[in-house]
Amino acid sequence: MVSPLYLIVLALAAAFLLGLLNPERRGRAYAVTLVALAGMTLISADWLWAFTMEGIDPVDVYTAGAEPPFAINLRMGLAEAALTLLVNLTGLLSALYLKDVLLAGGRRTMAVLLISVMALVGIILTRDLFNLFVFFELVVISSAGLVLLANDKDGGPASGLSLSAGFKYLIVSQFISAFLLLGIIFAYHATGTLNIDGMANASLGLATGGTIAFFLMFMAIVAELKPFPANGWALDIYESAHPAFSAIFSAATGAAALYAVDKLLLIGGAEWLPIATGIGIVTFIAANLFALPQTHDRRLLGYSSIAQTGLVLVVLGQRDLLGDSTPFIAFGLLISHAVAKAGLFWLSGLLKNRQLADWAALRQRPLLVFAFVTFTAMLTGLPPFPGFYAKWELVHQLAGAGQFTLLGLILLGALIEAGYLFRWFGYLMKREAPVETVPCTGHKVGPVLVAVAAGWALAYLWGDLAGGLFGRDNLLLALPLLFALSFLLLDWLPAWIKNSLAIAGMVAFFLLTWGEYDPLRLIFAIIFLIGGALTLLASYSVHGRRIGFYPAAMLMYAGMVMLIRATTSFDFFAAWELLTVGSYFLILRGKHSEPHALSYILFSLGGAFLILAGFALAAAGAPQFDLASLAQVAAPAAPWVFVLLAVGFMTKTAAIGLHIWLPGAHAEAETDVSPMVSGILLKAGLYGMMVLLLAMGKQQLYGVELTHVLLWIAALTALIGNLMAVFQEDAKRLLAYSSIGQMGYALFGLALMNHLGWLMALVFVINHYIYKSMLFLAVGGVAKRTGTREMYKMGGLIRLMPLSFIAVLIGIIAVSGVPPLSGFGGRWVFYNAIMSAEYRLPMVVLFMAGPIAFLYLFRLIYTIFLGQLKDELRRVKEAPFWIVLPQMIYVALLLVFAVVPGLALRHVDAYLNQFFPEGGLHWGGGTIISDYGYWNPVAIMIIVGVIFTTVFALLLIVNRKAQMVKQFNIVFSAERPFRPETTHYAWNFYAPYRKAMGFLTQPFVTRFWDTLADLLHTAGDLGRRLYDGNGQSYGFHFLAFVVIVFFVGGI
Amino acid sequence: MDFEWIKIPYALLTLFIVVNFGMLLGAFIQKIGARVGRRHGIPIWQNYADLIKNFGLRTSITHGVMFYLGPVFRLTGGIGLLLFVPTIYGSEMFSNLSFSGDLILALYFVFFGTLGMALGAGESGHPHAAIGISRGLSQVSMAELPFALAVFAVALQYQTLSVTDIVAAQQGGIANWTLFTNPVAVAAAMLGFLGSMMRPPFDVVIAPQEIPIGPPTEYHSSYLALMQTNRAIFPIAKIVIYMNLFFGGAASWPVFFLKVFLIYMVSVIVGVVFPRFRVEQSIRWFLVWAVPLGVLSIVLV
Amino acid sequence: MMPSIAQLAMATGFILILIGFYGALTQRNLLRMIVAFTLSGTGVNIVIVAIGYMHGRTAPILDATVNAADAVSRVIDPVPQALVLTAIVIGLGVTALMLAYALKLHEQRRSLDIAKFTELKW
Repeated sequence: MVSPLYLIVLALAAAFLLGLLNPERRGRAYAVTLVALAGMTLISADWLWAFTMEGIDPVDVYTAGAEPPFAINLRMGLAEAALTLLVNLTGLLSALYLKDVLLAGGRRTMAVLLISVMALVGIILTRDLFNLFVFFELVVISSAGLVLLANDKDGGPASGLSLSAGFKYLIVSQFISAFLLLGIIFAYHATGTLNIDGMANASLGLATGGTIAFFLMFMAIVAELKPFPANGWALDIYESAHPAFSAIFSAATGAAALYAVDKLLLIGGAEWLPIATGIGIVTFIAANLFALPQTHDRRLLGYSSIAQTGLVLVVLGQRDLLGDSTPFIAFGLLISHAVAKAGLFWLSGLLKNRQLADWAALRQRPLLVFAFVTFTAMLTGLPPFPGFYAKWELVHQLAGAGQFTLLGLILLGALIEAGYLFRWFGYLMKREAPVETVPCTGHKVGPVLVAVAAGWALAYLWGDLAGGLFGRDNLLLALPLLFALSFLLLDWLPAWIKNSLAIAGMVAFFLLTWGEYDPLRLIFAIIFLIGGALTLLASYSVHGRRIGFYPAAMLMYAGMVMLIRATTSFDFFAAWELLTVGSYFLILRGKHSEPHALSYILFSLGGAFLILAGFALAAAGAPQFDLASLAQVAAPAAPWVFVLLAVGFMTKTAAIGLHIWLPGAHAEAETDVSPMVSGILLKAGLYGMMVLLLAMGKQQLYGVELTHVLLWIAALTALIGNLMAVFQEDAKRLLAYSSIGQMGYALFGLALMNHLGWLMALVFVINHYIYKSMLFLAVGGVAKRTGTREMYKMGGLIRLMPLSFIAVLIGIIAVSGVPPLSGFGGRWVFYNAIMSAEYRLPMVVLFMAGPIAFLYLFRLIYTIFLGQLKDELRRVKEAPFWIVLPQMIYVALLLVFAVVPGLALRHVDAYLNQFFPEGGLHWGGGTIISDYGYWNPVAIMIIVGVIFTTVFALLLIVNRKAQMVKQFNIVFSAERPFRPETTHYAWNFYAPYRKAMGFLTQPFVTRFWDTLADLLHTAGDLGRRLYDGNGQSYGFHFLAFVVIVFFVGGI
Repeated sequence: MDFEWIKIPYALLTLFIVVNFGMLLGAFIQKIGARVGRRHGIPIWQNYADLIKNFGLRTSITHGVMFYLGPVFRLTGGIGLLLFVPTIYGSEMFSNLSFSGDLILALYFVFFGTLGMALGAGESGHPHAAIGISRGLSQVSMAELPFALAVFAVALQYQTLSVTDIVAAQQGGIANWTLFTNPVAVAAAMLGFLGSMMRPPFDVVIAPQEIPIGPPTEYHSSYLALMQTNRAIFPIAKIVIYMNLFFGGAASWPVFFLKVFLIYMVSVIVGVVFPRFRVEQSIRWFLVWAVPLGVLSIVLV
Repeated sequence: MMPSIAQLAMATGFILILIGFYGALTQRNLLRMIVAFTLSGTGVNIVIVAIGYMHGRTAPILDATVNAADAVSRVIDPVPQALVLTAIVIGLGVTALMLAYALKLHEQRRSLDIAKFTELKW
């Protein structure tokens, strides 16, 4: 094992060696630099290996031949090894990335870089306070030098911006170092030692003036973490410095400073932990808030860096509470942040322009887009990355200890951060790309790819660690997820091969596992897997390679499958996040779906956070629990768990108030994606509700029965969804609003909490999957052919697209619930279910919603297929075969399900008996009998068929010579029309209805969320004006920070 | 209540009686309307003449498949509605095909004909057809609501969804009728009834002046004949439901004829007295006056 | 009671620090700010030395008058003095760097006013 001292020696020696080299032989100097950094990296890696694999003990290295307190000692432990590896690797990769700049800058520049890395390593290793000060000063000086590497557009190295940023940095660091020195000397005076461990043992706080001494030191070191408000200088550096330096500054300097704070907290003891928490959480929230209105990419990354560091500080501050899992959490967050932020800064160096929207240029290189996705996922703590595990543990432990305010603030900040990161990703995918080629030079792309690889490796590692610590399976080993991820590697294949693979995979997985589900889950499994495969048939209509589609789609399906297979809260939540992310990428693929995808992911993540909080509350300190044991949650927490989970799930089912993402997201999605996200994805939310209600049943909060509240929400959702659908001009939006309404019905059934209510919900689940997939495909096919989704621009397409017409016809009959098709079954069960329900008033609302469906359904079929054919659409062809085929299968399915609903429902009915023994159905022969009524689907089908055929035959006999007339063979108002545009009555179809009922469709909810978003933005925009760019203000901010902490912290 | 083949001729017999009754009743009511307006009115057999004439017309055009099928849907809807509900209480013969479903089936099957008809008319491309449908659907969506609420109230009251059982519960004297046991529900239902009978003040949907009779604009000859047949059956089929739910049903044909006539007359009397509402006015009217009654009836049960 | 020399030095140090901070926050000229920081730096150094000073003791040099055995009770604490030396060196480095910065900034903008360099903000 090489002594850790060599980490420092190597850098210093290399720096001196550089001075001896011929200044003109820059290549050689560069090689020396790289070798030194690589050597340092290897040493760290070696130590890390030794600590993790061989399990050796931490090693102290004594200098100057004496033991502390008479000399300085360094310590190498697991944390140090990991952190120095991070620092050295970042340094090495940044040095690679800086190849051009370093070669141009010459050996001095390289020496400064080496010193910088060495100083960071020193901060991590040293156990001596004064030594810490020296290394910090070295970091300041070398950073002030490296800032100038920036290659601004307006004039060579060290142009104006980075120059002023560097000076501001120096100003603030002067204040900081004065504080640090004073603190150190007083602490020394009080304890007689400079050794950190020695001082910790001497309990500095008890000595005279010890508290003040520690306060001064603590403020100085914490200031290196860029806490709010003393962080304007750091933002300026992030904005103006060379991205490779920013990578070091964010990833390595941040990590080193955090570790210094950690060491310092050893001295301070427990009473300083709340202060650290406070500083951390305020910084986390403020930085994320200020980042919202940001448009400059690097400054945004700067804000994000500051926020993440703040979050880790919170974790350090909570270490009393977190106990042994502190390193797991802190490192999970820190390492995610470091890898992702370094990667993003390196990426930013590949682009010329600095606005967020200019990142659209990255689309030229799918690999780099994947890198961006990886980094974003790491920063937002999505599975399977370390941040996800860390977030889970953190939230669980905080909830277990009753730290709800802190928990809420953390989730709020994380949501805001996800907001701006995903908005950025939306820009990247959707905004017009600037005309520039993204350079693909190896030394610049290489570090990015290393970061990506590191991210995935860490994901595996943390899954493994979590397995060891909490006894879980590694997410990255879950078969569905692996299957989805394998499409990343197969993305070069043509779409049809991938499509076949996907279908085969889903069907095979179903065949392998179908015996494992109970009837309830089996229905969902069939919809998710077989239904998903069926919708994928439509994807054969897309040619080319369709980069990015299959990983996203398979991720969504993998998430859904894992959801129904999950037995523990952790697996459930991980699956929930996976399906959310997958569907987000799918939705984002639509042409104009950028804002809608954003609101989808925000609502979904917000919902996911609520679910997380609910699980954490239910777990009561345990790392996870069996889903079934939700039933055993004790009284004071139980209703809150219920509320959190229910609201979380309802973000997915788009219950009223949380629904505004759905219309845009479903309408703007691609033709074959709409059925997936509508027909299939929405069911995930319902599944969640089922799990929740089965386990927890009826809960009361402040005397209010929560299922009663759910009934109201569901009924209002059904009403508003249907009502909004009536007034849509866009066919897919109409269907989307209709989905909201249908989900309202299903939710209503669940909230009834009786046997038939649940059965009704399941009928809706099945029906809605079939007919909504079919309708979305049909309408999508029409939109594809006509080039518009505005229904009034269509008309008379029945003869040109007869198969699509049939699908829509069958679909609307089924949706409306008219016998003899399957929708009636749902209505029949519904009426029987509410006969025994306890609450009647919500039903009134649902009754109101019912007939409204006819309005939008008729409008859908009439304005598209009937009425007047437009001149420009006369050559329109039937939708592509692969889009029509699944529709025809759905038609067949609907008919089958209409005649023999028992096929699916009998088993569920029997299964439900164990939860709701009362009020089941009696399945006698063809007749289905409830406690109140009866229904014979076969007889209905036959009778209606016979009457229809008879009447039809009669008409055929009488009217056999009917003559087909041309389009305009109609007369009204004594005129013969000739223009379809003026004759096709379609726009604002329900004008009188709007006059009467339009008051119910005021966009109150949209306005509420818009105002909220506006408020956040405005708050961020006002707040960030604190950073007025003046170096003196920044100095003042630091002093103000100290004073505020002094008084607020009550020191 | 299982299927037997003998039910088919019985059902056809019901159909035959109701068609004839409907034709005569329709003409009779036309005549009453005319007399109120100091006109002479049509002869009582006028509907038969029209039917024969329409079936006999030789000119016949079509705008397409849906157009052709529209009246078929319409008539199927009417006949089906009639046959899914028992006509005469206590008579095995005239319980029709009610073994295939309960009250809910009837309620939802009402829309079968309407929907098919609307589609057929829509294919004609005639804008007035579409305008008529849009108005009709708008109005129906609200007019049905008090009725649906009342039906639900009645179902709750008797704890069954079977029409036969509901009628059975009302036997044994006029005081047992829902009309007296649950007057609020009946009031709500009857207000809804006004809205669905296509008579003033809620008949802007077929508005004879502004738009030549709405959806049926383009239909003629045998199409019109089918629709005319339906026009005879459908109101009666609907009234049968009202009669069964609220007015004690009918145990014999004479009682049946009387009750149907009287119930029909409610809408006629209101119709000749009141002027016509615009659609949004009628929606608001139902929302303000009829729906609260319906809600009340549910709360009170 | 007369304040001891240590207390005097300490007070002087703190006054210098405050003057330096005040100057750094109020003077807009870059060079004046740097001077102010030098003042505060000097103040910090004086405080450090003052802390290490113990009345009546001698310099921490082991020679004929002070032998190793009773050094602990006869010499002042050497550590603060060592620290001061390092601090001075670092202070020198930072000051030099700031001056170089000021020079470059002036070259570029022909101004030494700190309020003129606020393009980076928000």
